[in-house]
Amino acid sequence: MNRKKHRKLPTIDNIIGNFAGKPLRVVLIVISMILILFPVYWLITSSFKVKADYLASPPVLIPSQLTLDSYESVFGKDQLVTHFLNTFIVAAVSTIISVLLGSMAAYSVARGAIGKKARKYFGLWFMIQKMYPAIATAIPVYLVMRTLHLIDTKTALVIMNTSFNLPLVIWLMMGFFEQLPNELEESAMLDGCGFTKRFFYIIFPITKPGIIASGILAFIGAWNEFLFAVILSVNKSKTLPVVIAGFITDRGLEWGPMAVTAVITLVPVLLIVWAAQKNFVQGLAMGAVKG
Amino acid sequence: MAKMKRTKSAAPVIRKSRGDKFASWMFLVPTMIFLGITALLPLLYSLYLSFFKLKLNLPNATPEFIGLGNYIKMFSDPTLLTSTGNTLLFAVVSVALEVVIGLFLAMALCSDKMWARICTSIFLIPMIMAPVAVGTLWRMMLDSSTGIINYFLSFFGIPSITWLSSPNTAMISVILVNVWQLVPWVTIICAAGLKALPADCLEAATVDGASNGQIFRKIVLPMMSPVLTVVVMLRFVDAFKVFDTVYVMTNGGPGSATEMLPNYIYKQGLKFFDAGYSASLAIIFVVVMTVVTMGFLRLRDRMEENL
Repeated sequence: MNRKKHRKLPTIDNIIGNFAGKPLRVVLIVISMILILFPVYWLITSSFKVKADYLASPPVLIPSQLTLDSYESVFGKDQLVTHFLNTFIVAAVSTIISVLLGSMAAYSVARGAIGKKARKYFGLWFMIQKMYPAIATAIPVYLVMRTLHLIDTKTALVIMNTSFNLPLVIWLMMGFFEQLPNELEESAMLDGCGFTKRFFYIIFPITKPGIIASGILAFIGAWNEFLFAVILSVNKSKTLPVVIAGFITDRGLEWGPMAVTAVITLVPVLLIVWAAQKNFVQGLAMGAVKG
Repeated sequence: MAKMKRTKSAAPVIRKSRGDKFASWMFLVPTMIFLGITALLPLLYSLYLSFFKLKLNLPNATPEFIGLGNYIKMFSDPTLLTSTGNTLLFAVVSVALEVVIGLFLAMALCSDKMWARICTSIFLIPMIMAPVAVGTLWRMMLDSSTGIINYFLSFFGIPSITWLSSPNTAMISVILVNVWQLVPWVTIICAAGLKALPADCLEAATVDGASNGQIFRKIVLPMMSPVLTVVVMLRFVDAFKVFDTVYVMTNGGPGSATEMLPNYIYKQGLKFFDAGYSASLAIIFVVVMTVVTMGFLRLRDRMEENL
């Protein structure tokens, strides 16, 4: 039924996009948008609702009055600023370390002179490392951190998040490095540019999209990380996800303040991702599509 | 991921110098040391602990060697059996739903126009939301008395459902929340894969009068199969590791209706303080996950060869 159109403009957009006909395509997309956006709307409005509204039964679809009560209560007594800064510092530091070390390791595995065998086994190691469950090391890490008196410190969280993020960054960056044309390095080599110099002056700058994508993924991973944050922090080093979970376990149904914390957790990463959407989406797809 | 084929295709003209070799290894050393200390050593420590009885809540408890005691205990642990079953059910059902819905949405979204970019921006929201936040948000919406979901259902005359406090609906809820969060991820990756399909091949097929069904079965599915395999692998492994959402939504309850392996390992270690048993569970878990990963990798390599 779409054949006439195809003859005129046979692009992928038309062939695949209108696969089941244009009306169905529109319906599908509209429904998916509603399903995604409604919970987000609910979260945001809940954060501005008065207590009577967010606990009302039946629920209040469109709040009659908006208030900053929940925001005030969270920022006032709950040290939310501290938790926010904790989360930011942990995520930022671990991202910087894992992007730097990870892209170096990835470059070495993808392009370095380490031999075929080492290349294969390191590739496999990092792959499996990326897959394995964090819970497997939770108890030993807890015991070691307790012995080292690192419980409830940001250092412990930075270390663990870097450990999770390194394999992820390596995996992504290897894909980017493997795509680079050999000629680039060869001409640099002819100019007498050594391995280290080549990496920092030539390769690193031109793989900026990859660096941005893996940096954002690492940042989000650490920003949202919950398991180790809840095990390794008591109060001082609590991060936002731990605070959110705390609303359920400690204090019952304080949906308003909970929604505020969730909104504050979501907005910064959302802005970052939207600002770098092209690179981010490309990076996401990298692992599965290109290599 | 690691694809070694590409590097051998164009051999470097200049042989790499000895300095290169040294520098290459130096580039790897920091990561090796870091991962060795923070990932491999704890794993070995887990292995070691798994042969001991160690109660974490006693301040000066010393580990007591019990050989394979912890591993033997697994055979008489009904909750372990339940949580293994639950994890499998959860992983299979949610991944299946995510991949099917994700692929169709990706096809609908396969466009370079402005509206597709905006839709992508919106699709990014659930997947970058903290899983803990997603879990709590849905817990709020699924609440049996103040929740919006029951309110909507009441329009259709459906009586109030206690989503998270009845065993069956609790499992359904946990699965649906995972689907809500991760369909967008599958969609975005599949959309990238679809855009990378060779356009001339599809055009030729349409010009030759292939039906939509034929195009889907004979071109899109086979060409997307390597991508889909990776997507299934990543999602499956990830679904097995599910912790955050379960922890905030049901914490394994009611009873052990939504108890999953990671949550169970966590509880054994940090709620019941049985570090040894928790460690032995973790070790078995890692072994299984490694086998699954290797299996998927082999499958993917074979698929790429067939293309």
